[in-house]
Amino acid sequence: MEGGGSHENKGTRDLAAFLIKRLAQAIFVVIAVTLTVAFAIRLTGDPALMLTQGAGSVTEADLVRIREGLGLNEPFFVQYLHFLKGIVTLDFGRSFLGGTPVSLLIGKALPATLALAFTSLIVSIVISIPLGIKAATARGKWADQMIRILSLVGLSFPNFWLATMLVLLFAIALPLLPPSGMDGIASFILPAVTMGIILTATNVRLVRTTMLETLRSQYIMVARAKGLSENTVLYKHALRNCAIPLITYFGLQFGGLLGGIVVVERVFNWPGLGTLAFDAVGARDYPVLQAVITVLSLMIIGINLIVDIAYGLVDPRVRTE
Amino acid sequence: MIKMKRGLQTAFAAVALASAAFLPVSAMAAGKLTVSSPQDPGSWDPIDTFLVNWASVATNIFDGLTYRGPDLKLVPGLATSWDVLDNGMRIRFKLREGVKFHNGEDFNAEAVKFTFDRLLGAEGAKGPQQSNYNSIASVEVIDANTVDFKMKVADPVILTKLAGYGGMIVPPKYIQEKGDAYFNAHPVGTGAFKFVSYEPKVNIVLAANPDYFGGAPKISDLEYKFIAEPATAVAELQAGRVDLVIPPTIPIGMIPTIQGDSKLAVVTSPGPTVYALRFNTRDGITKDPKVRQALIMGVDRDAIIKSILGGQAEPIASFQGPLSFGFDKAMKPLPYDPAKAQALLKEAGVAPGAAVQIDLRGNEATFIEVAQAISAYLQAIGITATIKPYETNVLLNDIIPNGKTGAMFQQSWGGWTLDYDNTAVAMYHTGEKWNPYDSDPKMDELLARQRTITDVAEREKVLQEIAQYAADRALEMPLYNLNAIFGISKRVKNFTPVPDSRLKFTDVTVE
Repeated sequence: MEGGGSHENKGTRDLAAFLIKRLAQAIFVVIAVTLTVAFAIRLTGDPALMLTQGAGSVTEADLVRIREGLGLNEPFFVQYLHFLKGIVTLDFGRSFLGGTPVSLLIGKALPATLALAFTSLIVSIVISIPLGIKAATARGKWADQMIRILSLVGLSFPNFWLATMLVLLFAIALPLLPPSGMDGIASFILPAVTMGIILTATNVRLVRTTMLETLRSQYIMVARAKGLSENTVLYKHALRNCAIPLITYFGLQFGGLLGGIVVVERVFNWPGLGTLAFDAVGARDYPVLQAVITVLSLMIIGINLIVDIAYGLVDPRVRTE
Repeated sequence: MIKMKRGLQTAFAAVALASAAFLPVSAMAAGKLTVSSPQDPGSWDPIDTFLVNWASVATNIFDGLTYRGPDLKLVPGLATSWDVLDNGMRIRFKLREGVKFHNGEDFNAEAVKFTFDRLLGAEGAKGPQQSNYNSIASVEVIDANTVDFKMKVADPVILTKLAGYGGMIVPPKYIQEKGDAYFNAHPVGTGAFKFVSYEPKVNIVLAANPDYFGGAPKISDLEYKFIAEPATAVAELQAGRVDLVIPPTIPIGMIPTIQGDSKLAVVTSPGPTVYALRFNTRDGITKDPKVRQALIMGVDRDAIIKSILGGQAEPIASFQGPLSFGFDKAMKPLPYDPAKAQALLKEAGVAPGAAVQIDLRGNEATFIEVAQAISAYLQAIGITATIKPYETNVLLNDIIPNGKTGAMFQQSWGGWTLDYDNTAVAMYHTGEKWNPYDSDPKMDELLARQRTITDVAEREKVLQEIAQYAADRALEMPLYNLNAIFGISKRVKNFTPVPDSRLKFTDVTVE
């Protein structure tokens, strides 16, 4: 009993140390990323000029006045420190374009992006696991070849093209689904399928390879020798052992997904982080862009952490180590 | 049987009563118009913006003292009449009586004073609108329905500017009570439609104001969806979820898609935007006016309009369209004459094969095609043109203002005042941001002089002289005035396309 307790304490201490280390890493990454973004975007254009485009003759005095209003007259590092303070207090300031609080914009866009990314990943997992297993079990046969060709085709679609084709087919030729926007469950289908198809293309191959390796293991041979049904062998024994590499990959993919969602969001006019970032770059809206980048990097860090923890859940060896 | 009959009668009576109760309302205002606009301005406060897509929404919410409708004639708005006094140094406005803001607040002289105190004070200083109204010294309340505008300098364009964005009258009590940030997202004006809801980056919803002084709108609801991507906006139009796509959204290349759909139509009006390739008049071969003329004459601008722009543009002789005050019908573009162009180049001592660089905005597909055609025409007169696309912000904020362009650079311009003063000063006056190369005392003098003239006809003459002088010096290759292109569902009736994005949907009906 006693031994067990101290073991648990040690485990908690290890976990604490692990989390602290991760937190330190997270702070470093956020600072590195936002510093680069904040610096780079300031090299490429003046928001005051963007605001007064088409304003006719704007004098230098007007520009100075507007810059002052936006807080751009302060030195770069002072501006950056304000921003860092904002991260801690969750107050990212106001958008240069219209003065909407940035936290409000993020608060609306983040759930929209997460919902779409999550749905896309589910779509892709639901398609790629059965297809990948089929390809692995029918290795070299007709079904495997077809699945591999289809995945190659899927891989070569540019997402904006695929999106446009799906819209033409299912929103205009057959008016079944809304072509854009986020209103109701139906509006998730086209963007999630677009993203899902592109993800599936790579995921099928991953599932197939992982499955092939697992099926060569001795315990699969044992399971089969025991006379278990093929489905039990595949889905209970093999799939569970494939889980670690798959979870790692899907998790990392979720991070990549958040970055790659920009184009799909724009085509489907999805009110998410991608759309927000796209507009912010165009308008040189520093506070919005910096906040979006910060949120995205925090999420990617968070996902990596979750992936690490999830290992423990599916693989008892990681838990006890 | 009798019982059943009575039951039926009661039912009929109920239906009749119900329809009687609802009919008058639905006869007054029915139907919803959904508009796709390419940009969310982020704030609905008039002093925060210069974006035309602010105006395409907010013209329905706010009114100014003056109003400029689709025909671009200045008519009374919230002011019923005005007198220009003391050589333009004082303007007295008589205000419309009995008008209320959407929140019930009275519109009166105090509201006008509040609006301009705010615009010219600290709050206005944070935004881009103030600089347009700097000629106003102060607004004085004479009585509840009379105000005097005291001017710092006579401003011939001020009456037009009062119909412009910053001149929209705002409710004093509402703003003082709720604050500016709240007003940004919950606008209140005197206009034909009342604000209902706004979701940033998604939509803004308005409802008819039955008490509008210009008459109640014929539709009951108005929604703007913000859709930046042209293909997406057109898909929404085709799917029937949007009734109208407003500029600047639809590129020339997408017109056939809309025209090919029997439920849809393309409606155009002359737009405010003019395009030119301007010259580096300081360095290289384009320093010589003869070379600049040769380059203009070497390019068949009419053919470009016909083939690349599908006829959706008008050729221009100066850097303004026919809607602009200062436009001169008598002025004709330099003719397309490659032989004369080559002769001029020879005269100027330019050897065949001389190189020029054309700088342009990399995100405007249509203009890139135009530039490619221009480059081909120049090739034919012995000039090798290379095209250099920039990211728009970099071109506008760095390359042009800092004089780092090639021999020619794209300039598109859509001054909302539609007064050549605005354009000409920005393009030609020494030291202006858009004029990194040229400095001409005669031009500066003309530009300064027209600003002091309050006589409309006389000022127009000076503006025309400026246009002619710029053309004589061949300061730019004037290309065309592009149409404003609207995609519309045929369910929408009585829609008048506007040249300046100041859409007002009072007369529109939706079937």
